[in-house]
Amino acid sequence: MNALYWWLLLAVMLFCIGAFGVLARRNVIVVVMCLELMLNAVNIALVAIAQFRVGAPGAGTLFSLFIITLAAAEVTVGLAIVIANYRNKRTVQADQYDQLKG
Amino acid sequence: MGGTQSMKIAVALIPLLPLAGFLITLLLGKRYFRTKAHILPVALVTVSAALSIYAFIWAFTHQDSVFVWNAFTWVAAGRFSVSWGFLVDDLTGIMLLVVGVIGMLVHYYSIGYMKDDEGYYRFFAYLNLFMFAMFILILANSYLLLFLGWEGVGLCSYLLISFWFRKKSASQAGKKAFLVNRVGDFGFTLGMFLIFMSTGTLQFVGVFSKVGMISSGTLLWICLLLFTGAVGKSAQFPLHVWLPDAMEGPTPVSALIHAATMVNAGVYMVARSYPLFVDSHVAMLVVMIIGTFTAIYAAYIAMTQNDIKKVIAYSTISSLGFMFMALGAGAWVAGIFYLFAHGFFKGLLFLCSGSVIHSMSGEQDMRKMGGLRKKIPITFWTMLIGALAMVGVIPFAGFWAKDEIIGGDFTHGYYVVWAVAMITVLLTAIYMGRLMFLTFWGENRADPEVKAHIHESPKVMTIPLVLLAIAATGLGLLVGLPPDGGWIHGFLEPVFFKVESEPFVWAGQGGALMLASLATVFVGIFIAWTMYVRRTELPGRLAGRVPVLYKASFNKMYMDQVYEAVPIRSTIAFAVWLWTFVDVKVIDGAVNGLARLWELAGERLRPLQTGRVQNYAFSILAGMLVLVVVLAWVWGS
Amino acid sequence: MPGGDFHPWIFFILAFWILVCGLGVVAFKKVMYSAVSMVFCFLGVAFAYAALSAPLVAVVQVLVYVGAISIVVIFAIMLTEVQEGARDQFFNKQTVFAAPLAIAVAAVVSVVIVSADIGRIGDTARTPSLHQLSALLFNRYVFPFELISLVLVAAMIGAIVLARKEEEKS
Repeated sequence: MNALYWWLLLAVMLFCIGAFGVLARRNVIVVVMCLELMLNAVNIALVAIAQFRVGAPGAGTLFSLFIITLAAAEVTVGLAIVIANYRNKRTVQADQYDQLKG
Repeated sequence: MGGTQSMKIAVALIPLLPLAGFLITLLLGKRYFRTKAHILPVALVTVSAALSIYAFIWAFTHQDSVFVWNAFTWVAAGRFSVSWGFLVDDLTGIMLLVVGVIGMLVHYYSIGYMKDDEGYYRFFAYLNLFMFAMFILILANSYLLLFLGWEGVGLCSYLLISFWFRKKSASQAGKKAFLVNRVGDFGFTLGMFLIFMSTGTLQFVGVFSKVGMISSGTLLWICLLLFTGAVGKSAQFPLHVWLPDAMEGPTPVSALIHAATMVNAGVYMVARSYPLFVDSHVAMLVVMIIGTFTAIYAAYIAMTQNDIKKVIAYSTISSLGFMFMALGAGAWVAGIFYLFAHGFFKGLLFLCSGSVIHSMSGEQDMRKMGGLRKKIPITFWTMLIGALAMVGVIPFAGFWAKDEIIGGDFTHGYYVVWAVAMITVLLTAIYMGRLMFLTFWGENRADPEVKAHIHESPKVMTIPLVLLAIAATGLGLLVGLPPDGGWIHGFLEPVFFKVESEPFVWAGQGGALMLASLATVFVGIFIAWTMYVRRTELPGRLAGRVPVLYKASFNKMYMDQVYEAVPIRSTIAFAVWLWTFVDVKVIDGAVNGLARLWELAGERLRPLQTGRVQNYAFSILAGMLVLVVVLAWVWGS
Repeated sequence: MPGGDFHPWIFFILAFWILVCGLGVVAFKKVMYSAVSMVFCFLGVAFAYAALSAPLVAVVQVLVYVGAISIVVIFAIMLTEVQEGARDQFFNKQTVFAAPLAIAVAAVVSVVIVSADIGRIGDTARTPSLHQLSALLFNRYVFPFELISLVLVAAMIGAIVLARKEEEKS
């Protein structure tokens, strides 16, 4: 029990660091990077629980593999969007993407 | 009491035929019937008249029994249940005779009078609708069904008064009639409520059997409220103001509705409610006083009117006053007798005046008439008969009936009323004489083109005149002799069962009263003769000497102005206030204010939409935090 | 004791590494420094997987994250502009609210974790064999597996469409 908790706390810390970065940084590429941090944190938690639990071997680690895969796809598309946007607006400041302002 | 199958058919058809006539003529008349639109309505109403006579004969041969037929349940709501039912007794028989015969004659007359009018089909449709409503009114066996007919005739009155609706004065007159009537109807409705509350039913048979149960205070209120309806419908003071204006309608309408049938509805209703009134002495006093006052009031106004139809209109109001005077004084049979005779001779007078107007190419002002005696003889002679009947010259119908009323006042002890009635008789003779002399005697004062066109009316108009004149002559003798003991008295005895009447003594008090009223009539005719034929400068001089009296009479005692000043002004002011304050400020303000509120809210919330994803992400994270806290709280405990 | 079979100190070193690199991602002014920080972070996480006796995941992490994602990110950085200026150019206006929020979230979730009942937990981490994993992947979880390949294809196509140059109209 004890060991698992430490890993989970680590995951939470990393997650919150990433969250802060997503909310606070202006450069949109840094935001994407912090998003990856958050995903990693979740993965750590997932794997930790999967490894420490009694019964159902393997499912957790498999799931974390899926997460990694999806994260890759997501980063790709996200950065493609950023680059396309950059071509039109010539900026990567998140503040300046406000055309949907109401 | 039972009814035969044929009576059921007759009674059902009498109102239904005109109703069918109305529907068909109204829907198809404009396109298909046009100038022939009179054929169906006239035929149907003739059949109805024949059936009315049939029903009358039934009543005549079954004098002590009553035909009651509940056709179907009309209203069933909890404890309240009324069926659509008919009642024919002796009183109904008389009314059927009046309504059926006169209605039929007016229809024929209208063929000639309304020829070339662009609303020809509409006129006959409305006439038929009126007949339907009037028949329902007199055939009804419950107050509710009577009220249906009551409202129906009011509606038709409105439709027919404002028949020439493009004329502003006509449409206003129609509105006036309907609104004033409504005031009376309101009282009638309250009376019906009270009746239901005290007896639990609205059917005549039920109500009258339970009269003993009603406390005298409630009974008084019931009678007064019902009488209010009669005041409105039969144009008594103070709800009489609509009748003179109603002369805007075509003359057949005036004859039928405002002389012979609709205005009688009030009298009929009071007579039908005899068991209620006879137990409430105070109510009968009120009826008598209002009737008497109205009689002399209207006669006073009639003396100075220049429009021939207005004179006859005020004359009608005065006659109706006489009828209520009779009912209130306890001379029930006399009142109904007068109603019966009056229907014929007043209808005759109106139709004759219509003939005069027709021959004068539409001129209605008597100051422009004169000397028509030789030029339109049939109209003259029939109108003369009608006038003589009206003022009460022996042996015409009006004499016997009116005399019985006046006699009844005296014998029942109402001497003041008797005196007022005598004065009214005098005034009546004066104004009727004035009407006849101005119209038919002397020099013709019309415009030259009108003068050249003076002609007698077509047969389809004059034949009804002749028929009615015969009735006006003979009815009194046939039906009312000897006074208090004639056929009509026996006929109506089962209806007015509590009335005692002393036998009439020719040589005693009865005879003396009769002579007195005859003498009064001749004095009045002589006065009129003097003023309007022999020394025609007299009226002007008299009017100059007592201008106040003359003006009061000419201006209808300023009643219209009183109405305008008090209720009408304040109602309009109230309506305007409701509009400018309540509707514009309050209601619109609330609705618009609500809209503004949402608008403002939207404006205030707008900045939340920054368009920046990071702001939205912040909200998501914050929300998630809240959720976690709440869930942990809930699951933890 | 954290770490399972390994020495507990391993855990603390790894934790320290990961968190410091994470902070580096967030805090550096220059984007390239953030990217490099991120790479080291991923590396640290890979070691963490190893410490958790999940070698397959560790290897995949290195292959995918360190090897591919980091490259994509660096490419993106190279294709876009370089920011200049003071520190407040790099943090936006809601930072002053974001920091407390992040800290609060961390605190709340930590408390929840510590006080929650997680179920039957063993003391050590066990390694599933590769055989077991592949059996699971191709039997029980074959459907998600196929779906993920679809997603990858879609992502590829989408990225290409989004990022290619506009065609010149001739």
